[in-house]
Amino acid sequence: MDGLIIEQTKSTPKVVLDPQKAKLSIEGQSYPENAFKFYEPIFTWLDEYLDQLQQDVVLEIYFHMPYINTSSSKCMMMLFEKLEEAHEAGKKVTIRWYYDQENEIALECAEEFKEDLGLPFEIIPLNDEGINNGK
Amino acid sequence: MENDRDNPSKGKNFDLMYDRGTIKVIICACCIIILAVVFTGSISYVITRNAMVDKLKNRDMLYIVQSMSEKIDGRIERAQETSLLLADDPTVLAWVVSGGKDEAAGEIVKTKITDIGKNYDYVKAFVASTVTNQYWEDNKVVKLLSKTSYTDKWFYKALKSGKKIELNIDYDSIHNETFIFFNTLVGDVRQPVAVAGVALSLGDIAKEFGSYKFGEHSNLWLVDKQGKIHLADDLEYNGRLASDFLPTEVMQQILGDMDNATARPKVLEYQDSQGRIMDLAYQATATTDWKLVFQIPRSESISILGSVKINAIIASVITLLLMVVIFYFISYKIANPFKRALRLAEQMEKQVKLRTHELAEKNQSIMDSIDYAKRLQEAILPTETEWAALCREYFVLWRPRDVVGGDFYWIRKLDAGGCLIVVGDCTGHGVPGALMTMTVNSILNHIVDNCFESAGQVLAELNCRVKKTLHREDENQVSDDGLDIAICYIEGARLEFAGAKIPLYIKRDGQVHVLKGDNRSIGYRRSKIDREVCRHFWDLETGDCLYLTTDGYIEQNGGTKDFPMGRKAFIECIAGQVQGAPFIKQRESLEIMFEDYKGSQLQRDDITVIGVTF
Repeated sequence: MDGLIIEQTKSTPKVVLDPQKAKLSIEGQSYPENAFKFYEPIFTWLDEYLDQLQQDVVLEIYFHMPYINTSSSKCMMMLFEKLEEAHEAGKKVTIRWYYDQENEIALECAEEFKEDLGLPFEIIPLNDEGINNGK
Repeated sequence: MENDRDNPSKGKNFDLMYDRGTIKVIICACCIIILAVVFTGSISYVITRNAMVDKLKNRDMLYIVQSMSEKIDGRIERAQETSLLLADDPTVLAWVVSGGKDEAAGEIVKTKITDIGKNYDYVKAFVASTVTNQYWEDNKVVKLLSKTSYTDKWFYKALKSGKKIELNIDYDSIHNETFIFFNTLVGDVRQPVAVAGVALSLGDIAKEFGSYKFGEHSNLWLVDKQGKIHLADDLEYNGRLASDFLPTEVMQQILGDMDNATARPKVLEYQDSQGRIMDLAYQATATTDWKLVFQIPRSESISILGSVKINAIIASVITLLLMVVIFYFISYKIANPFKRALRLAEQMEKQVKLRTHELAEKNQSIMDSIDYAKRLQEAILPTETEWAALCREYFVLWRPRDVVGGDFYWIRKLDAGGCLIVVGDCTGHGVPGALMTMTVNSILNHIVDNCFESAGQVLAELNCRVKKTLHREDENQVSDDGLDIAICYIEGARLEFAGAKIPLYIKRDGQVHVLKGDNRSIGYRRSKIDREVCRHFWDLETGDCLYLTTDGYIEQNGGTKDFPMGRKAFIECIAGQVQGAPFIKQRESLEIMFEDYKGSQLQRDDITVIGVTF
């Protein structure tokens, strides 16, 4: 299965989906005019990938998104639901959410997502030197 | 229409630009070529002329006078030798001494005289005897010499001279010819018995002079001590004086040099009476006192340059024309793409103008339409009068990112008592957001008019109705829209709050309390139709201030790290407001803080902030 790389723009994050390493990362601000249009190919890819994901492979996902607008956060929610489904089906998925310590909105956002989800969801603050806590 | 009128004049401008450019380049190049040709031509002309004059003066003229004088000298020397041979011949002596009686010797001598005269291109050979006074010439006695005859004076003069050989020049004015007689004494020089010798005509040399005719006006003269011309390439000068044709000072120089027979040939130049520059060379002959003079007008000696000049000019003109023609074609070829580029630019400009105009028109009509939509959107927002009937003081900061937006606020004073204050943030901005606000506004009106119970009930009902209106449970639809909302119901001192992702901030005694409301938006496909709504209650006291804000304000990016501004900053700002100051001032400080934080960034979302106090 081919990977998927979407380069970062001013209003959309960089998305890297690597099936070989079983990694998914989304980094950057997300406030496109049409969020559904931006996230749709990611959903399609993820559906396909999760279908064939083996039980023993751990899909590692990490996010570092300083800002997500309302419609993007709806899309993120849809993405989490897909992961949740896979998780409930016995597949191994872990999520790490990085946020800059000074960015309370990003933390609030992560907490809201985490609240709704049953899969492993780690929220890790970053200070100026990088990871402060956790790893 | 204005464009169409502009275009032809634009076209002319481009043509003019092109023509001027090409012609300028061609003229410039031609001037350079002409200059170069004239310059090199002039230089080579001057160099060639100088070289020619130099060669003429230092070589050609010297060569002519030298070789001519050598020739004359050679001729004279040969004649001297012949005369001496004749005079020293013992047979001649014997014959003369015998007084002509020695017949045998006489025969030999007569044959010799005849032979010399005929076969060695002398005019004649002669023997004049003192014994018989007979003058023999051509095998016969021509005359008898007499002391009294003037014409025979030369004979007696020669006998007395004591010189073995003497040259006697006899100019014959009738035949216009000069003869040189070589009078040689026979026998003892002190007591000669006869004078024998040959006569040489200079006419023969004159023929040679002719072969040195350099130019039409060149002259080759043989001049004697007195300056008399004895021999000239042009016979008409014979017997004339050279001073008639040459300036006095030149004449003096030539004659002054006369004594120095061994002098090398000399060259001088002068201007004649007509102002022509003349080159003149002269040299003394070794055997006589004569001087060879050769002169030629400068203009003639370099006349060949004239034809060279004309040919060079013709060649230059042809070259010039050729180069100009070739250059014109080359520059035309070069200029052609330039011209095409100009045309293309012109067309592009036209197209761009047209498109810009079209776009401007379209943009204008879209903007007109949106402006009208803004009026509609603003029409549903509460008026000042409605606010005044509701509360003591308030402020509203409503600032859509675009002309219209997805944020709205809504108030209602209920007939049954109490009032509702609502702030909503629909998904999307701009026109789609505005459409949502209109829809939600109308649903909200409908609920409150028909079945109002509580803030919580309005929120739950709104969730159901928006879902139904927008999604109709059609699973295939891609769109998923909803809204965040905060609903406050105030009845007397009792405040009921129900929120969906928009909290209520209450400021009391400088402290800000936050009623968070639900964590989920409403109206989305995923929003549960039978969701439980959390209702918050608050007992209002005098001086309590209520604040509602959509995420547009707190999530605006900016600052040093381009992060969202954050809720904390907002809370601090409202907490810092001076109690009792004019309420509207709070809006100003919120705006200032917002602008400061945003800096040069663009507004990211629609903004609505409301503050109320009762």
